[in-house]
Amino acid sequence: MPVFKTPFNGYSVKFSPFYESRVAVATAQNFGILGNGRLHVLDISPTPNSPPVAELAAYDTADGVYDVTWSESHDSLLVAAIADGSVKLYDLALPPTSNPIRSLQEHTREVQSTDYNPVRRDSFITSSWDDTIKLWTLDRPTSVRTFKEHAYCVYSAVWNPRHADVFASASGDCTVRIWDVREPGSTMIIPAHEFEVLSCDWNKYDDCRLATASVDKSIKVWDVRNYRIPVTVLNGHGYAVRKVKFSPHRQSLLISCSYDMMVCLWDYMVEDALVGRYDHHTEFAVGVDMSVLVEGLLASTGWDELVYVWQHGTDPRAP
Amino acid sequence: MAMRELVSGGAACAVPGSSSSSNPLGALANSLIGSSSKTKERLEEIPTSTSTSSGRQFDEQYQPPQLPGSEFDRPFLQPGTQGSDFIGAFRSADHGGLADAWDEIQQHSHVAPPLPHPRDAEFQRIYDRGPAQPTLEGPPQRVLSNFLHSFVESSRGGLPFHPTPLPMLGLSERDKQCIRDRSSIMARHFFADKSEDFISAQVNALLSSLDIDSDVRAKGPQPAPVRELEAYWNESQGIMQPNSHATDGWVAEFGQQRHGDPNAWVHSFEQQHGSNGWASEFEQEQSQLASVDHMRGVNVANLAAMEQTRMLANTLAQNGDPKFQNSKFLQFVSKMSRGELIIDDNQVKPTSGDWATEYQQQYNAGPSWADEFTSHGPDRWVNEFASEREQQRSVDDKWIDEFSNLRVNDWAEEFENQVGEGALGDNSADNWANAYDEFMNEQIATKQHSDASKGIYVFSDMNPYVGHPNPLKEGQDLFRKGLLSEAVLALEAEVLKNPENSEGWRLLGIAHAENDDDQQAIAAMMRAQEADSTNLEVLLALGVSHTNELEQAAALKYLFGWLRHHPKYGTLAPPELSDSLYYADIARLFNEAAQLSPDDADVHVVLGVLYNLSREYDKAIESFQTALKLKPHDYSLWNKLGATQANSVQSADAILAYQHALDLKPNYVRAWANMGISYANQGMYEDSIRYYVRALAMNPKADNAWQYLRISLSCASRDDMLEACDSRNLDVLQKEFPL
Repeated sequence: MPVFKTPFNGYSVKFSPFYESRVAVATAQNFGILGNGRLHVLDISPTPNSPPVAELAAYDTADGVYDVTWSESHDSLLVAAIADGSVKLYDLALPPTSNPIRSLQEHTREVQSTDYNPVRRDSFITSSWDDTIKLWTLDRPTSVRTFKEHAYCVYSAVWNPRHADVFASASGDCTVRIWDVREPGSTMIIPAHEFEVLSCDWNKYDDCRLATASVDKSIKVWDVRNYRIPVTVLNGHGYAVRKVKFSPHRQSLLISCSYDMMVCLWDYMVEDALVGRYDHHTEFAVGVDMSVLVEGLLASTGWDELVYVWQHGTDPRAP
Repeated sequence: MAMRELVSGGAACAVPGSSSSSNPLGALANSLIGSSSKTKERLEEIPTSTSTSSGRQFDEQYQPPQLPGSEFDRPFLQPGTQGSDFIGAFRSADHGGLADAWDEIQQHSHVAPPLPHPRDAEFQRIYDRGPAQPTLEGPPQRVLSNFLHSFVESSRGGLPFHPTPLPMLGLSERDKQCIRDRSSIMARHFFADKSEDFISAQVNALLSSLDIDSDVRAKGPQPAPVRELEAYWNESQGIMQPNSHATDGWVAEFGQQRHGDPNAWVHSFEQQHGSNGWASEFEQEQSQLASVDHMRGVNVANLAAMEQTRMLANTLAQNGDPKFQNSKFLQFVSKMSRGELIIDDNQVKPTSGDWATEYQQQYNAGPSWADEFTSHGPDRWVNEFASEREQQRSVDDKWIDEFSNLRVNDWAEEFENQVGEGALGDNSADNWANAYDEFMNEQIATKQHSDASKGIYVFSDMNPYVGHPNPLKEGQDLFRKGLLSEAVLALEAEVLKNPENSEGWRLLGIAHAENDDDQQAIAAMMRAQEADSTNLEVLLALGVSHTNELEQAAALKYLFGWLRHHPKYGTLAPPELSDSLYYADIARLFNEAAQLSPDDADVHVVLGVLYNLSREYDKAIESFQTALKLKPHDYSLWNKLGATQANSVQSADAILAYQHALDLKPNYVRAWANMGISYANQGMYEDSIRYYVRALAMNPKADNAWQYLRISLSCASRDDMLEACDSRNLDVLQKEFPL
């Protein structure tokens, strides 16, 4: 399957919800510690005759791009989380000179994650090292709301796939918080791990289940109706787990990537939960995604400056 | 970027800081990567880190409509503009690494954008800052990038990577802060197994290797000698006085550059320009700087840094995974530990001759640019400005004329009329104020409504104790026997008979609380408080109940009230505080009270409740344990300890605490229910069901417990019992789940 070399270190990869062959990749120079960033939009060709990957667009930024999310309402719209604290909107339909179409400067520190609301489709959230989460809509130049309760960097904030107003956030303060944007404060605090929580994601079939990934190398699955103990703990990564994501196709399947350079596939309902293990990255694996449109299609990126797209069960490195 | 920022040299302008020392590394990178042309080298800034040949291909394909890494709404570097030609000519001669640094300095002048308005362009040139320049476009970025990537190249190509002394990088404050913040945050992710000390040692090693102080902000942006030089330079360059801003900028950078590798620079300068009058003066200055350089001494920090990084390298070496051994990132860190990558400002060998010539050319070119500017730039700008002013004034005058001639009287009359009729008031201000008042009233009303619905006590329909001669005494007896539901009925009969009996309401509230019904408990306690607003037990109970319901503001109000009405601690509580209660203030007051009389169990109880509010469960547990030492037979205190332990995910301890409470008071419904919650939290759903059923058998009205039971039943996959649960059929449940 196709491999794409990015000039900078990969940070995040996301499948387009509209085109099965399209991915967006967020990258940052010098491992995101200092330097520029670039946002790539790639088209993967299904036919063997044409080049396997075509770069549809690339946008340069003055600081690293840490995350990207596709709009759920417009097929050409992207939201990028930038390390300089800005949130930038890009429209693929417009010429490069018109992009970014918007730069939202409110976060005072690095923006680490962004997620587009899949239910309402008109808003998105960003989470930042300034300990806050911000809610934005496309039609407003400023954020609609700021959620400030976490005591340390918020590494990830994701919308619930069923409830339009509910999202979860994962923070370095070792907690995961559940929020309802109609409520003034968080509605639930889960002391999820003993170490920093780097990522979280909602189950796509059970709107009460949540997975968290932590520096403690574990992934935990939680039921928010009984959040005192996890439903299960998935061990197997050798270093901090950087990202976790539930499958859009199978209820009990989730994928994760880690600083141990591995991409792992889990079935949290079965005894031997680790169902797949990919060691194709040669540096920290930090970005991973599962296609909504093609079952089993996976994408990953890492600090080895490579983007892989492959079908589950095949070798990502196979040509 | 705002024009003001350009002028004042805001953060984003201060770009190429001390560029200087990119040269040796640039030269190294060139020799490794094989790039000779300067134009290409610039584009190498997009570090492809592919093989050498493909890297070059990439360069050739890449036509720069925009600078790599720049992000502007429109591209500003148009090929063929005057600036490009200027710099192009400069570039045409090949030369050593320092020219590169010179490029960077000059970038400010050559990227003047093709702005539409001539005056703007003029303005731009006055300040000679160029348009918004991305901060990371400067040399520090390149050096760091090359630093990392030349290393990467050498490890890939199998070339021997000679330990190269790295010059001072001259990173901007913002860059340093980025590196400091990001590397420390990321280090906590990489080295999770290690202690905090180890992690900070790693970060410090990295930072001091890059010559970043742990707190750069404390340090001035430039050492003093350079500023002296700047003054001198300004003086000697009287010709450039008009555009002093540009000069300043240039000199500052020039100074920083010298600061980087002064010795080498001086050397070459002496060779090339020794006879020149300007140069000799300059030389004097230079020798001053050199002595300063001596005083600064060698980079002692590097030794410590190396030691610390060595620790890291050892740890990494222990990881047997060959992938880890090959990780470029980790190799980078470990090379640093072996001293192969020392960042030092000695031993720099620039190809000085070429540079000096280049510099001279450049220097000669300088005045022509300055001439151009002084001869015709400012005049035109001034003229234009003056004429603009002229127009402006005529408009002003016209307006004043018009106003004075026509409007004033009319307007004043009209205003008088309106005020007289009250038109103004009614139409605008009052309307707005009314609307606002209405809104506020609505808000208050809704709030009151919700409060009221919460605070209304709901009496039981059928009460056999109505008409009882002494329901209070009966209630107290029943309560003591632990027959809580019966006690509730008796006490209800009492308060129906004597609605002003504070003690009756209070006991009723406590009975409800122990029966696990906080809504009713709060309602009863509020009535008790109405009857007697200073009853300490009532206030404490209300504080606890509101804490259970997670209503911080209300809880704080009652806890503060407790303190204020307490005979011993009343003096601690300033009454004016009650207007705005903040958690921190209340917690501070109670800590003071605890210090005042450490043997008062009640204070420790309140502190425990407060820490529950702020979710500091460890402190809360400590407070309750202190209180229990003083009052070991207080069953409700054991329950509080258990609940707190459960909240802080110590469910096993919590069960022990609940057991204590139940030993003291076997009919304590709340403790039974809490016990069930703790078992459920540990995943022991079957056990939790038994406890819930037991609690419900004692008080079938505990709605929360029914909900918990339902969850436990489904978690334990006992869906067959859900129907019994939904129909609240306790007989079936008790038979199925005996305790």
